[in-house]
Amino acid sequence: MSTDLETIGMLRDSAARYADDNYSFHQRWSVLARPEGYSPQAWSDLAEFGFLALRLPEDDGGLDGDAVAVGAIMEIVGARLLMEPVLASAVVATGLLLKLGSASQKAALLPRLADGSLILAFADEDEAGNACVFDGSRLIGGKLGVLHGDVAGELLVSARDTAGAPVVLRVGADAAGVSRRGYRLVDGRGAARFSFDGAPAELLQPESGLSAAAALAETRDEAAVALCAESLGIVRKLVEITTDYLKVRKQFGRVIGSNQALQHRMVDCLLLQEEIRALTAAAQQALAGPAAERTRIVSGARAYVVHAARKVCNEAVQMHGGLGVTDELDVSHYFRRLMVNAALFGNRDVHFTRFTDAALAR
Amino acid sequence: MSPAPLSELRARADSLRQAVRDFHATVMPVDLRDKSHRHQVLSKDDYVRWMRLLDQQGWSVAHWPEEYGGKGWSPLERFAFEDELARLGCPWVIPFGVKYVGPVIYAFGSDAQKQRFLPGIKTTEEFWAQGYSEPGAGSDLAGLRTTAIRDGDHYVVNGQKVWTTYAQWADWLFCLVRTDKDDKPQSGISFLLIDMKSPGVKVVPIRTMDGYAHVNEVWLEDVKVPAENLIGEEGKGWTYAKFLLKNERTAGAIVGWAWHVLDRLKRHARESVVNGLPLIEQPLLRHRLGEFELRFLALELAAYQAVEAMCDGSESGSEASLIKIRGTELYQEVMETLVEALGAAGVACDVEALHSAGLPPLGPDDAGGILKDHFYNRAATIFGGSSEIQRNIVAKVVLGL
Repeated sequence: MSTDLETIGMLRDSAARYADDNYSFHQRWSVLARPEGYSPQAWSDLAEFGFLALRLPEDDGGLDGDAVAVGAIMEIVGARLLMEPVLASAVVATGLLLKLGSASQKAALLPRLADGSLILAFADEDEAGNACVFDGSRLIGGKLGVLHGDVAGELLVSARDTAGAPVVLRVGADAAGVSRRGYRLVDGRGAARFSFDGAPAELLQPESGLSAAAALAETRDEAAVALCAESLGIVRKLVEITTDYLKVRKQFGRVIGSNQALQHRMVDCLLLQEEIRALTAAAQQALAGPAAERTRIVSGARAYVVHAARKVCNEAVQMHGGLGVTDELDVSHYFRRLMVNAALFGNRDVHFTRFTDAALAR
Repeated sequence: MSPAPLSELRARADSLRQAVRDFHATVMPVDLRDKSHRHQVLSKDDYVRWMRLLDQQGWSVAHWPEEYGGKGWSPLERFAFEDELARLGCPWVIPFGVKYVGPVIYAFGSDAQKQRFLPGIKTTEEFWAQGYSEPGAGSDLAGLRTTAIRDGDHYVVNGQKVWTTYAQWADWLFCLVRTDKDDKPQSGISFLLIDMKSPGVKVVPIRTMDGYAHVNEVWLEDVKVPAENLIGEEGKGWTYAKFLLKNERTAGAIVGWAWHVLDRLKRHARESVVNGLPLIEQPLLRHRLGEFELRFLALELAAYQAVEAMCDGSESGSEASLIKIRGTELYQEVMETLVEALGAAGVACDVEALHSAGLPPLGPDDAGGILKDHFYNRAATIFGGSSEIQRNIVAKVVLGL
């Protein structure tokens, strides 16, 4: 199954147009000032456009979008630094629910995900020494760094059952036995840590019989690939902004872009951009392919892209001089977004190790 | 005729790869295969044999249009062909005739020139060399000073070319010369074909650090060249030279070479045991191997992306430079690591063994050849447009800096 190119082109265009009109860097300041860490208005706009139903089956009013379709939206999310929980809720958690939810669980949640009335967060990272355990009806343990966990209505929580097998649970974010501590990430988005002390939890059990372990692995890979696409959006923007700056900023009586030292560094950023583009596209294709190759390409892409995007962003800061580290300039906001993204859903070292083992086993 | 869809080009490229593997396994003479697997120095005879073998498969000029004996290969097929040969460790496809001057002749030459030269290029009946660089004109090629003065029905050529690969074997030299000194540098240049047997042509070998002389100086002293050997119009040589450089920079083989040496490094790392642990399990080398694998993945995917952009005409102008910059960087670093991992054998150079079928004094059979390639390809970031020139081009053409 793959989304046709025409649909993807349409998605890309309408998302870009929406962001052009409603999400300029200037307009974004008011979003940053909001207590929720995102704009409820923009969130309902995104629902209106159908972006939140991107991954839903056509029968549920969705677009049945594949990784390329998700990538088209995520590129815009990156380029415009959208603050809304597109990745956490509409891409990652929705994806996990689609794989692992029963028909009745999906019927209960998908319409609310599509219209934006529910924000669903994926809580995956265990608190050290307090891993999540499910006893058949209740959940005990702690989760850290849950992206948009501060505003989520419900959670999908990875845990183990009493026999040690991976399971995924649906937990109300405000249920009894759930304590939530929300906080801000360095890029302004919200997150939370959770403690579960006998919280009521419902097992996700699909009719397909797919194992939670397999679904979790797929979901983590999908998150990694979506983050690659977001990075591509960010890097394209940084290359554009910085190249433009090199053409106007004058020192010693000439534009700084006339210096070969800077030209060559800018070219290296462009080469990284092109590599990120190629790796992202390959990772999107690999998601639907055989498992070993999926691991190699997805983790390879994620490991390379994290590093490459950071390199480009560091160069963007450096070439903007002192301005590059100011809050006033968008470059520093991209810098902070990349910092956060690098820490989400498995960092570079995790993916690099996984890639190396897969590549050298061939 | 509209271009074939990408899916069809991909399928064609895949079946071409299979054909190349079959050829390597069954058609290629054993002695040539062994020599090239050990990366030994090949003689002119070896190379001519190799190029004719490719011609017999219908591959030597398959990237040419059909009307000139080619198959009209797409950039993707061309890339797959060169890449697969390189991965298999096959000899170099000498480009001077089939890749460089051939296309210039069919694109800009007269009918008489096409009839006279194209058949011999296709079959390597005649061996070509490239007269571009000069002592004062390396990266700044337009600074060349070799002159050609028209005198009746011929030109008189004086000057010096340098880094001329295999000039010692060449029958013909395609040469950039200055026919007009008054114009701005680029517009006074012409493109001449010079018979290497002409009086006044002198070839002086340049010994490189591998102990061999792949490259030469070519001295031209009052060399008489018939005016009919001028390509196109006088003073338009820069246009033809740029057309040629564009072909030169589609270098697909570097990706395959990088793959080949990385594969060789991994084999060495699996076979060599140090302190009871194979090298591939030693944390530091394993980490480097992981980084190389990752950079190769990025290179390979970006190369495909670039070549496919060339197929559908959506290229930005950075594609070939990206492949060359990244490919040569990676190739050199992997090679360096391989030589280092060979230990004592990595510094034992035996030029004799490279020429004969003899074995190096220590280490694996191909240790000498690995070293030779390491030395030779140290120049890979310099020849064919240095990494710095590549970056200059991308900065100007794509970024507008």
